Amino acid sequence: MNEHSRVLERDELEIAETLRSPDVDLRLPPVLPREPYPIEPLTPDARQQTRAVGQRATRSDARLHGLGQTKYIDDLSFPGMLYARIKRAGIASARIKRIDTSAAEAMPGVMAVLTGKEIPTNSFGPTFQDQPVLADPIVRHAGDGVAAVAAVTEQIANEALAKIVVEYEPLPAVLDPVAAMREDSPKVHAPNSNIYATKVVRKGDIEKGFAESDRIFEARFSTQMIEHVSLEPHAAIADWDANGRLTIWATIGRITLARADMARTLKLPMSRIRIIGTIVGGNFGGKNEISQEPALALLSKKTGRPVKGVFTRGEEFTATTTRHPIIMDYKTGVSNKGRILARQIRLVLDGGAYCSWSATTLGKACILSPGPYKIDNVVAEAFVVYTNKTMTGAMRGFGAPQVCFAYESQMDDIAKALGIDPLEIRLLNAFDEGSSSPTGQVLHSVVIKESLRKAADRFGWEPRS
Amino acid sequence: MTDVTMIVNGQVRGASVPPETTLLQLLRDNFNLTGAKLGCDVGDCGACTVIVDGQAVNSCLMLAGQAEGRQILTIEGLASREWLHPIQTAFENSGALQCGFCGPGVLLSAKALLDENLNPSTQEIRDALSGNLCRCTGYTKMIEAVQDAARLLREESRTQLTHARTEATAP
Amino acid sequence: MKRRGRGIACMWYPIGFTVDANASAATVKVNEDGTATVLTGTVETGQGSLTVLGQIAAEALGIATDDVHVVSADTDTTPMDTGAIASRTTYVTGNAIWLAAEAAKAILFETAAPMLGVKVSQLEARDRKIQVKSFPQRNVSIGEVAHRSQVVLGQPAIGSASWNPPTVAMDPETGQGKPFATYVYATQIAEVDVDDETGEVEILRIAAAHDCGTAINPMLVEGQVEGGISMGVGMALQEEMLFDANGRHINPNLTNYIMPTSLDMPEIAVDIVQGYDPTGPFGAKGVGEPTAVPTAAAILNAIHDAVGVRVTSLPATAEKVLTAIKAKRAAEVKQIPA
Repeated sequence: MNEHSRVLERDELEIAETLRSPDVDLRLPPVLPREPYPIEPLTPDARQQTRAVGQRATRSDARLHGLGQTKYIDDLSFPGMLYARIKRAGIASARIKRIDTSAAEAMPGVMAVLTGKEIPTNSFGPTFQDQPVLADPIVRHAGDGVAAVAAVTEQIANEALAKIVVEYEPLPAVLDPVAAMREDSPKVHAPNSNIYATKVVRKGDIEKGFAESDRIFEARFSTQMIEHVSLEPHAAIADWDANGRLTIWATIGRITLARADMARTLKLPMSRIRIIGTIVGGNFGGKNEISQEPALALLSKKTGRPVKGVFTRGEEFTATTTRHPIIMDYKTGVSNKGRILARQIRLVLDGGAYCSWSATTLGKACILSPGPYKIDNVVAEAFVVYTNKTMTGAMRGFGAPQVCFAYESQMDDIAKALGIDPLEIRLLNAFDEGSSSPTGQVLHSVVIKESLRKAADRFGWEPRS
Repeated sequence: MTDVTMIVNGQVRGASVPPETTLLQLLRDNFNLTGAKLGCDVGDCGACTVIVDGQAVNSCLMLAGQAEGRQILTIEGLASREWLHPIQTAFENSGALQCGFCGPGVLLSAKALLDENLNPSTQEIRDALSGNLCRCTGYTKMIEAVQDAARLLREESRTQLTHARTEATAP
Repeated sequence: MKRRGRGIACMWYPIGFTVDANASAATVKVNEDGTATVLTGTVETGQGSLTVLGQIAAEALGIATDDVHVVSADTDTTPMDTGAIASRTTYVTGNAIWLAAEAAKAILFETAAPMLGVKVSQLEARDRKIQVKSFPQRNVSIGEVAHRSQVVLGQPAIGSASWNPPTVAMDPETGQGKPFATYVYATQIAEVDVDDETGEVEILRIAAAHDCGTAINPMLVEGQVEGGISMGVGMALQEEMLFDANGRHINPNLTNYIMPTSLDMPEIAVDIVQGYDPTGPFGAKGVGEPTAVPTAAAILNAIHDAVGVRVTSLPATAEKVLTAIKAKRAAEVKQIPA
């Protein structure tokens, strides 16, 4: 609520002449009753069936969505609520020499300022706790937060950010993941190596497989960094009450993990933390961990008032996780008939500045990289490396869309070179019920060939080679 | 401070706000109409779409002062307390909204289209929704829902015409 | 001129993830009128998971989707859950809810057996009633049983359970093991027009056939597939975060970061492949993420089919496609003997 504005009472207003326009009645909501659409009772049949599974039941939240009544974080407010904003480093690699918050703190309407030093345990992360809530003293990517402000309006909070003075000592940055793998590369998390996780899958005898192959195909594929672009930005409200109990309303897909991370960063017992996940306005993997929540909590603790923080669209890009760019080298040996006999894969994932869900992405990308095919001889190696860029993390598919692009592109190249129809070569190599995966897992409920045939039927696929 | 008066969802509403206040801020913060969403604040995403004098507009790009004296329809005004608008019915039944955040803007863009054209082609619907970004649905079910809503509205206008004719010819 | 091409891509995808334990817990409470309340720690992030989880509880209890209310996402009231991640909700949380509903149902059966004069093993829950198998006319309403359990017998019909997918840790040297409980499979086929003078790609239609085991709610499965395809379209042709030489992001806005609008989406035909996974709730697996996996591959193969160029780095922007077309033409000219 803008504190300088007031809503006029109805009797203070005059209906001005300008308000009359010839099509007023046309534009107003209909006054004629619409017979078929009563709010009550409208429970479509599918929701009333007692064999519930398999029904096209309408969503339980569809009504509220359509009426605009679903409450997302930014639609909630509490008495006395403050607005938080986070100052972003804007520099990819640096050491913070000094932060001067005094001018910001002196501004009317600014209630509290927070820096990384004040956070009890200034690190979090689902696999490695390598990410600070607010950078202190090392900045590892331009979207790192360096200070947070709580003010009575968002505008004042924004103005206060400009008054925070941060002095940086620039450090060498590494942006290319392959360069980051070199021994002499600048270290994002010095003194540790930039390669922060690896995965390997070996099956059969790769050399023998290549030796037995009639043809060998080699190619390098690469993908880009992608943002989730949930329509609702990351948002949260923290309320640290006088009993020392913290309530967080957050757009987060994992409240159990969020509570554990909050307990760790704030050194609080879990019983004193309540996380309420509101309806999340889009996740796709981007809201699987905490971000600003510990800072909001501490600002609330400092001020004794609820504090809301909503990321700008710019912060959504620069300060939240993204999809891993992957450099993918594929070497595949096939028989003249199109059977894949051996496949060697090397993946380099650009992990950005922090681990987030990279270890999980690495594992999935590596395990899935040979494709849904019966291949007796496989070596897949994957590395994820730190760079001074926005951190990469979970995003719909965890590395699978990237490796699928590589293995399916190469599959078509092989089909073309051998004169085999692309559908045929896939049916020739695809898993069957009971096939052994690259990790030696016996697969069950395998329906890939059914899916190939069904899509081909629907598309109207005519074989040609 | 600027005094603004406008008709919002059929009611005269007014406020005194700083001149830089956007229509979106006015609706959300002053009138507590939170259906219109802030998604990007620069007119790229369409989550803040409302209807001003029959046109779907990004309310984050319009100053409150520019809405002076105009007719505003927000998502809160689309249904009455007793009746859902056919667009809402169609979106609900076809599962056209997922996270729902883009929904109010999408529904109002669809309303602006259907007010002008009760029989839009698929391409006309795509054009009308092209300013409303959605990351969940791929727009497919939304387009179907707008078609369903158009059909419901056509049936309704036929019924009303018949009704009017019957009344006119009644003794 | 515009050249048409088609491309196919298939994929496999694991349900749940591999690094840590991946457990969910759930509580199902049967109310005294036979409706039910489910407590789950997962979060609705737009997929419709709460609707699907309600359908699973309803199916287990023999009641309707509308009879179930799902309470979610509050650490004070709902049990632990690994969360809305990794296409795990229907499979893992769904199994937990199924087991919890079965536990609540077992209490109802114990109460109902003496009411109907039969053994517990002879009972089933159907159509909001507990009835004797093969003698559905001998029945008592679930509400009556739930009320009696609670008020007379002092044993409320509340069930709790947790479920963690059975996996075998991977050998660190060879990667051999059973990292995931199950997998889903899918194929997408795209048809595109490529303008060989501008490099512009228009996606005309996509046929998608996805396996998710039992489709608990086919309408929501279709919604996932259509949405996943739109993400794949962006990945294939449009989206890319760009950085300057100093590591600053240069397109952090939706003006310069291009993602699909309603004008970019092709016609989509979704087929659900008949499947049943005995380890999932009522045979279900998952569908959220896999929908976004094969799209870009299918589109890039269609571009290759249309103009004969292999774009190996995403996104395949018009510039990139045109550059590849020009390079191909130049190579062809060179090959013509003098």
